[in-house]
Amino acid sequence: MKRSLSLLAKLLKIQVRSQLQYPTSFILEVLSSLLIQGFFFVAFGLTLIRFDQIGGWNLGEVAFVWGITEFSFGIMDMFFSGFDYDSFGPMVRRGGFDQLLLRPVNITLQVLGSRFVLRRLGRIAEGLVILIFSIIQIHASLSIVKVLYIPVLVISQVLFFSSLFIIGATTTFWTMDRLEILNVFTYGGGEVMSYPMHIFPRSIRLIFTFIVPAIFLSYYPAVYILNKPNPLGSPAFFAFLAPFISAFMFLLALRFWRFGVKNYQSTGS
Amino acid sequence: MSSIIHVQDLVKTFKIYHDHKGYLGAIRNLFDRKYDLVHAVDQINFDIHPGELVGYIGPNGAGKSTTIKMLTGLLVPTSGEVRVNGYIPWKERKTYVKHIGAVFGQRTTLWWDLPLSDSLTLLQHIYEIPDPLYKKNLAMFREILELDAFMNTPVRSLSLGQRMRADLCAAMLHDPKLVFLDEPTIGLDVVAKERIREFIQFINRERGTTILLTTHDIADVAKLCERVMIIDHGKIVFDGKLDHLLRTYGGRRFLSVQFAEIYPEPVLENADIIKMEGNNVVYSFMRDTVSASHLIHKLSESYRIADLEVNDQPIEDTIREIYEKQLLYNHNHDKKNPAS
Ligand SMILES: Nc1ncnc2c1ncn2[C@@H]1O[C@H](COP(=O)(O)OP(=O)(O)OP(=O)(O)O)[C@@H](O)[C@H]1O
Ligand SMILES: [Mg+2]
Repeated sequence: MKRSLSLLAKLLKIQVRSQLQYPTSFILEVLSSLLIQGFFFVAFGLTLIRFDQIGGWNLGEVAFVWGITEFSFGIMDMFFSGFDYDSFGPMVRRGGFDQLLLRPVNITLQVLGSRFVLRRLGRIAEGLVILIFSIIQIHASLSIVKVLYIPVLVISQVLFFSSLFIIGATTTFWTMDRLEILNVFTYGGGEVMSYPMHIFPRSIRLIFTFIVPAIFLSYYPAVYILNKPNPLGSPAFFAFLAPFISAFMFLLALRFWRFGVKNYQSTGS
Repeated sequence: MSSIIHVQDLVKTFKIYHDHKGYLGAIRNLFDRKYDLVHAVDQINFDIHPGELVGYIGPNGAGKSTTIKMLTGLLVPTSGEVRVNGYIPWKERKTYVKHIGAVFGQRTTLWWDLPLSDSLTLLQHIYEIPDPLYKKNLAMFREILELDAFMNTPVRSLSLGQRMRADLCAAMLHDPKLVFLDEPTIGLDVVAKERIREFIQFINRERGTTILLTTHDIADVAKLCERVMIIDHGKIVFDGKLDHLLRTYGGRRFLSVQFAEIYPEPVLENADIIKMEGNNVVYSFMRDTVSASHLIHKLSESYRIADLEVNDQPIEDTIREIYEKQLLYNHNHDKKNPAS
């Protein structure tokens, strides 16, 4: 375990060093991603000023779900890009996965260490700025427990998004075709989690409750933290399911992943 | 001596699915999915002893890479037994791969975006190679493979030949007992090929490393391997000395004669005229049937000769003939079924 972690650290460190080789261009990339991502929120904020509210939530409140989702997704995307469907699929096809299997190290750890995208700091910073902006607006409704629940939520969301990444990566062991539907769940999940989810049609809410339980990772906890009424009328404890649901999904995703690797070794690519 | 690779009744059968197309098709696939079976490796047996350097050849799609993938633990066989260095490769992957090296010529194990030196450092950590050993090996390989010129170049910018040398170095750093090379000379020029052959020979001779090598360049085998195994359609059709193979199947020789005058039909017993241009004639004959000196003697009795030359059939041609006419396939087949 200790050896695995130190190896992972080495893999990441060397990649960071090579990505920082041209510092100016790196900083520009991070800044531009911060600005481009942030622009969407600013544009959204400007329209909201005209209407004042969306689904009964004001800008500071929407900023909470928006910021925390962006922040968590950014962190996940930085650490788990080895499992990113868009790069993992081509790697399997080119035989890169075979090369990992030839090394005397746990395969999951190797995929994790195979790609680390430091540029994602832009998105992480954007999420953090929006989250801080929100907390300044909403601090009156916060208590100690609520404040402590925020980092728990971040970790839960990171686990949640990484589960989706891992499941997506695993499907490439069976099909070489791009499954667009997976992006609908992953990126679509991130999208719906950035808004108060009761504004969406019932069908969409059902998908993101039962198929991909995104609603437990963002909406229900936010309703609790922001003291909002819940027009969906669901039980109050739903607010606290996030860590359990995400941990369960993560374990499930890892199982599926291991099953996929086994299958790969019997069918080849 | 006991064998380091033991392969018994090894079979790998792939299913090739014929999927229905589209979304509805995807659902139909769940219920009735049609497939063909491809017998990529079909009941093969062999043993390789420590220190051997064996050439594993055969036409495209014969099953070479599939065999190597099973021996390296990448693929689980459909049936049969494999023991390499005491391990069952796909069952004890993590411990097993510490003892082997593998190079797949079409791929690289190196980090695409990192300088070569960084890739090698990472491999040191991955294989937990002690510092002194790492330094010693690296210094040696740098010299033999001439890596110094591109040690700090990102792998993606290396030429094919440079990359292959780098990959060979990467595969040997941890002193593997056993090395699998799947087409390590593919796409290289003559000079680069020669350098790689020398390195392979060095590793085998100086360190006693056991090597299994696949290639389409028969010159690799001729230069490096005493023993050669030929696989075709998933079956091993020959396993023995290359010399023996060539003597048996490559028995064709050519006698080129320049006569002192033009003869309309300079026929010769036991030899065919395959080319005739004025007073230059080329005969083909089989080594087993008749000796060159006998033919020359006969010729000089009847005709006046200005010059002559005897050549063996090039190895490439012999091997091609074996593949094309499936000489070995039929031969073995007959042996197994003497009645037919
Ligand atoms: N993952 C796979 N799925 C289905 N069929 C496969 C798979 N891998 C190999 N095959 C088939 O198995 C057969 C043997 O392939 P293999 O790659 O072992 O041949 P090879 O001897 O290495 O050929 P080459 O000289 O062209 O590299 C071929 O018919 C190939 O199409
Ligand atoms: Mg091959």
